[in-house]
Amino acid sequence: MSGDAMTVCLLCGFAFEPGGSACAERGCPLAGAGCRTLDCPRCGYAVPDERASRLGVWIRRWFARPTASETVPQRLADLRPGDEAVLDGIEGDAALAARLTAQGLAPGVAVHLVQRIPSYVIEMGVTTLAVERRVARAIRIRPTQEDAQ
Amino acid sequence: MERCHHPASPEAQAVQRRVILVGNPNVGKSALFNALTGLRTTVSNYPGTTVEVARGTFSSADGDVEVVDSPGVNSLLPLTEDERVTWDLVDAARRDARVVVVQVADAKDLRRALLLTLQLGQLGAPTVLALNMSDEAEARGQRVDAEGLSLALGVPVRATVATRGKGIDALRAALHEARPPANHLPLPEDVAPSVAAILAGEAPLPDPEAPAPFVARYHEAMLTHAAVLARRFCGTHVTRGTAPLPWSAGFARSLGRLCTHPVWGWPLLFLVLFAVYEVVGVFGAGALVGLLENGLFGGYLNPWAKALFSHLPSRLLQDFLVGQYGVVTMGLTYGLAIVLPIVTTFFLVFGALEDSGYLPRLAVMSDRVLRAMGLNGRAVLPMVLGLGCDTMATMTTRILATRKERILATLLLALGVPCSAQLGVILAMLAAVPFSAGVVWFVAVAGVMVVVGWLGKHLLPGRTGEFVVELPPLRLPMASNVLAKTAARVEWYLKEALPLFALGTFLLFVLDRLDLLGAVIRAGQPVVTGVLGLPPQASEAFLIGFLRRDYAATRLFDMSRGNGLDTVQLVTAMVTITLFVPCVANIFIIAKERGAKTALAMVAFIFPFAFAVGGLVRLVMRGLGLWEMR
Repeated sequence: MSGDAMTVCLLCGFAFEPGGSACAERGCPLAGAGCRTLDCPRCGYAVPDERASRLGVWIRRWFARPTASETVPQRLADLRPGDEAVLDGIEGDAALAARLTAQGLAPGVAVHLVQRIPSYVIEMGVTTLAVERRVARAIRIRPTQEDAQ
Repeated sequence: MERCHHPASPEAQAVQRRVILVGNPNVGKSALFNALTGLRTTVSNYPGTTVEVARGTFSSADGDVEVVDSPGVNSLLPLTEDERVTWDLVDAARRDARVVVVQVADAKDLRRALLLTLQLGQLGAPTVLALNMSDEAEARGQRVDAEGLSLALGVPVRATVATRGKGIDALRAALHEARPPANHLPLPEDVAPSVAAILAGEAPLPDPEAPAPFVARYHEAMLTHAAVLARRFCGTHVTRGTAPLPWSAGFARSLGRLCTHPVWGWPLLFLVLFAVYEVVGVFGAGALVGLLENGLFGGYLNPWAKALFSHLPSRLLQDFLVGQYGVVTMGLTYGLAIVLPIVTTFFLVFGALEDSGYLPRLAVMSDRVLRAMGLNGRAVLPMVLGLGCDTMATMTTRILATRKERILATLLLALGVPCSAQLGVILAMLAAVPFSAGVVWFVAVAGVMVVVGWLGKHLLPGRTGEFVVELPPLRLPMASNVLAKTAARVEWYLKEALPLFALGTFLLFVLDRLDLLGAVIRAGQPVVTGVLGLPPQASEAFLIGFLRRDYAATRLFDMSRGNGLDTVQLVTAMVTITLFVPCVANIFIIAKERGAKTALAMVAFIFPFAFAVGGLVRLVMRGLGLWEMR
């Protein structure tokens, strides 16, 4: 897909490939020296390339959410806050499984993810559980029947 | 059926009976216990453990009935020491015809309750099922068919609202009809033999830290059956949004979510901490201590005692009671005027926090920090309780999942968590120095905790368990419950602390009389003056610090008011005494819970370590030239 490589000018909406020759043509001295601005070849509007910023990438990733169309969530850890799913099974060691099942987490139970940070908070019926990420990854889920249809 | 193993006559059976309350956590078990027994309750440790079990009685037509409140459990197959106690109590019920189980269920969550009911059926323990909080269930549009459920399970089922005393008489009347719940649930083939062996007492209970895989499959099988029953007998099955939540429940839910919110959770946490500080620090340690120490003891009791005992013939006896190291003028005054108000206000606030359901949310917020120290969010509960009493908190470390966590939490409590009495004295000392001095104290102590925790995480063998905690709905605490708990804890504290206060004072008195106090002071001088830069008399404080840290802190506090320590000396003293060896009672409990070797090792580590850190902090402060213009 070329969508990844292409970028859209924030001012005029022109789609172009970043790092083009426009800046070099205009004689910018930084053009060859790893300049990381996005320079629109149509209107000349230039902004720093956020993909060059570690912080920028991190923030993007922080807010990025796997959409349902991209991946079918397999684990509790894949769900987004507000999602519902049905519990499929618990992996991991026997002590964890014994504890979670004693608290009512058994296959077939509908769960609702409230939040992911600082802990995963899940609701099932009137029970609310907070679990760490490691546990959320050990819990297999499948979509609810309404979602599947 | 031969179930009565006790040589008791039929008459005796009718007279002395016992009811064991069993249920999941947060189903209102304590409220039902209070509703059943009224105020005649005692709290004691279950034999051989440090698990607290409340007992009470009520009178019925055929004699007194004892009620035992067991620790909340999610499954009868024990995974923690608390659950082990419940197992033992229930196990007794199937062997002794005079014992019946009252299972307290949350009427809103029948499925999880029935998991326990079915297990009680497999055990064959005669049971009555109390559907508690049935008002809340109805408010949500759920109606449990109690009669149908009763027929299906073969046990009496009664709806109760324990907080308002509803259904309690009906529950008492139903005790006669208690039966073992029907048990015709076929267990999966790979599970059945293991469970049967355990129930028959032929196989040991599963190891809590490494249970066999069949335990989880057993729970799953029971839950499947429980879910079928719950669907059949619960009017509208639990699905979100079927009935509008009552206003208060909706508010509690939103507030509960805010408490664990990644952003809004923090301001709420600081709000809670601030409220605790206002009540314990400002009201308890400030106003109440002032009132009691200067007003009651300084103004009335001590002068009266001096006047009263001045008639005693022996000068020695007079000094023993009301002298410089007098049991009354020093021991009792410290214990009752300084420590008691602080401890009481702390336990009052802690009890309210406990009942409100906020503490598990605090665990969620602090999980990441504690993870860096080899613990997880659950450890926040003993850590916060430690701010009340480290001894009590050390007992609570058994809620932690692995041995490594329990040892680390015990060590950190013994090392750096000041108990409320000590904290109160330290706060009072801080009032006399610049705010920055308090910051230095806090950074030094918290830094030591993090470093020791981090080292422990990497050096101690074993693993840290996964963080899983149930978040009960936020509730407004019931005043009666909080007050009763506080009273029991304060009583416990006084019984433990006052004799030690008296003993510590007596020790100083004897040493003073024998002119040995001077020798102790001289012996401690190289460390106390050389390393810490404190006046030699501070040795005396550290000496009684072996008995109780808070007593030592109080002594230092007294000294600082008398002969004017400068700020650096005060901070050094505060840091050293905060990190100093835990009190005698705590050492005993550590020995009991973790073994004598561990307790000795901890004391051997902490004693020199506290002085080393104190000396280091002093060097840094002097090196930086802090507060030198003063």
